[in-house]
Amino acid sequence: MMDLIRAGAIVLITAVVVLAFTMPPPLASMQSGKEASRIFFFHVPMAQMSFVAFIVAAVYGISYLRTRRVSHDHRAATSAELGLTFSIVASITGALWARQAWGAYWNWDPRQLFLFVMILIYGAFFALRQATGDVEVRRRLSAVYLIMAGAISPFLYFVLPRLYTSLHGDANQVVLSAGSSNMSGAVGAVFASSIIGFALLYVWLLNLGTAAARVGDTVGAATDE
Amino acid sequence: MNDTMSAMVAVLVTWTGVVWYLLRVDRRINRRKDSE
Repeated sequence: MMDLIRAGAIVLITAVVVLAFTMPPPLASMQSGKEASRIFFFHVPMAQMSFVAFIVAAVYGISYLRTRRVSHDHRAATSAELGLTFSIVASITGALWARQAWGAYWNWDPRQLFLFVMILIYGAFFALRQATGDVEVRRRLSAVYLIMAGAISPFLYFVLPRLYTSLHGDANQVVLSAGSSNMSGAVGAVFASSIIGFALLYVWLLNLGTAAARVGDTVGAATDE
Repeated sequence: MNDTMSAMVAVLVTWTGVVWYLLRVDRRINRRKDSE
């Protein structure tokens, strides 16, 4: 099964890279940032996957507190790592788009700002995770932190950005209209493939990271003895 | 080659590097798991 997921992620994302640059740009009618709008095929799925990863981390945090299974702590921490990585790359790709379409890398746009807040929250998580030497305390603290961070993430991703005027208005329209007349069939299909590709990549990396953490624990335990 | 094609080549090269690294790590971890 994991072989299929791995192959699916590699094939789909490679195909999306080629198609994203060879087909007409999603915002072909825009004056500025027309060509740069191709970055949406990567930026939006990564922002979406970062949210999914943070929620999965919180779910595994709850599961760890209930069952005390070490593998759930590994999965929670790995998912938070992946969420942080995806949100950093989404921020960078967003900034590249912003420079072309809005004139500056940073515009104090609500979505830019709240994604940056998420990066700070999860950056602090890894500082906290390294702060204690007691493995049991570290796992419990991590689980509680990830549950709290996961609980506020829907507000930072979906609620707060909608309370303020956002430069993302035009982008939201494109994303939300996937499959409708605003997004042609081919663009919508590539966009959907990208979302599936990044979801498969996330599942592959979650498994890989969890296995690496397990091996790391085994090596650590052997060194301590 | 125009800017769009150059960007595609740059992204493809980066993605190939990422995949190569991840597959290497995947193989190593699986070998380690099998030997345990």
